[in-house]
Amino acid sequence: MSDVDRVLAEYKQAHRSGGEADPRPFLARVSGVDREQLAALIDAYLARAPRRPFDAADYRDSPAVAAADAAGRTLAGSAGLWPVLLPRLRNEARIKRADLVAELAARLGAQSRREKVALYYHEMEQGRLPAAGVSDTVLEALGRIVGYGREALRRAGEMPAPGGPAPEAGAVYTRTTRVTEPPGEPGEEAPEPEEWDEVDRLFRAG
Amino acid sequence: MAGFHELPDSQLATLSDDQLIEYMRRARDAGRHDAMKPAIGVLVYGYWASLVNRARLKLPAADAEEVAGEAAASALAAAFDGKSIGEFRAWLHTILGRRIADYFEARKRRPQTTPLPSEHEGEEDVWGAEPAAEFEGEALFAHDCLTRAYEEIDAPRHRRVIDLYVLGPHAAAETARLIGAGMTEPNVHQIASRFQRRFKTLLEEGNTAIRR
Repeated sequence: MSDVDRVLAEYKQAHRSGGEADPRPFLARVSGVDREQLAALIDAYLARAPRRPFDAADYRDSPAVAAADAAGRTLAGSAGLWPVLLPRLRNEARIKRADLVAELAARLGAQSRREKVALYYHEMEQGRLPAAGVSDTVLEALGRIVGYGREALRRAGEMPAPGGPAPEAGAVYTRTTRVTEPPGEPGEEAPEPEEWDEVDRLFRAG
Repeated sequence: MAGFHELPDSQLATLSDDQLIEYMRRARDAGRHDAMKPAIGVLVYGYWASLVNRARLKLPAADAEEVAGEAAASALAAAFDGKSIGEFRAWLHTILGRRIADYFEARKRRPQTTPLPSEHEGEEDVWGAEPAAEFEGEALFAHDCLTRAYEEIDAPRHRRVIDLYVLGPHAAAETARLIGAGMTEPNVHQIASRFQRRFKTLLEEGNTAIRR
């Protein structure tokens, strides 16, 4: 049995046992072409591995919780894949959220309204800001900061197609009035129409 | 909305991938976003180790989990959209491959306004260096060699040895038993060994950059 065969067998055993099964320590045991070979074999093995049986206790402590939460915001929200995509792009760009917001505000010419830009950006990451309302100007500026195309950002925000009732309104909405707000009950005082500024229009008017 | 009945976690865990996705879709259509969460958890948990570890083979550790998470969400989103995705597991891994490719593309485009993770150098003994585009190229080349070595095997029974033993979870004896019809444990080892040698030869012939 070659080194590659032996390490592969050990890796498969570790994976089947339900642990984390990080492949990197296993790869570290071989070098050169053997390492390439082992990496490809582990990759192919993992791609074929069946779904692990659910273990509620293990799940609670696993990073899969955060991934599942983000997937849930994607499926239930109104901003498609932004809840998973935007934090990833920001992290990969090694840029703090506050710095990203500052740069975004600057690129939008809204330095004096940085706080509002921050709220809207937060809603984008949470999947609570309808993607259709976010202008190309914002996506272009954001894309330049994180190295992602405007159109790709747009497409990511549009999938999956919204379905079912909207999720609970976010922080920005609690202080604002929706354009399509239905009229109140008879006798109820109508809400004051909101006056949008340029930042609102950039993030909500499409 | 009629037609949706919430299931306990224990029952969700017994559903197939397609059944879980259908359950989530019905929960969403019924406005029961809270009921979607456990089903998403069962599905994401079930594939998490495979996804994140495949990502770790190609990406820096700091980014692997996020790329894996995005792949899971993307795959689920497409399934929700009613796209024809075939088997969910295969689709999930296809999407992971695309997200990894996107990752490298984004690195090329991204302005280098902040230092890349050189500050972490030395923290990871093997893959601590910043990823380079060659990483992906090497992995793709190795994948092609693996595919070619597999496709060069004519006998379906021998391919099954590779599926069950080399790339699958079964031991040699178990593989021989599953295939039957005269297949023995030494046969399994022999077929696997020949396949591995051919795979390695193809890799060496490719004159790839060797990582030391």
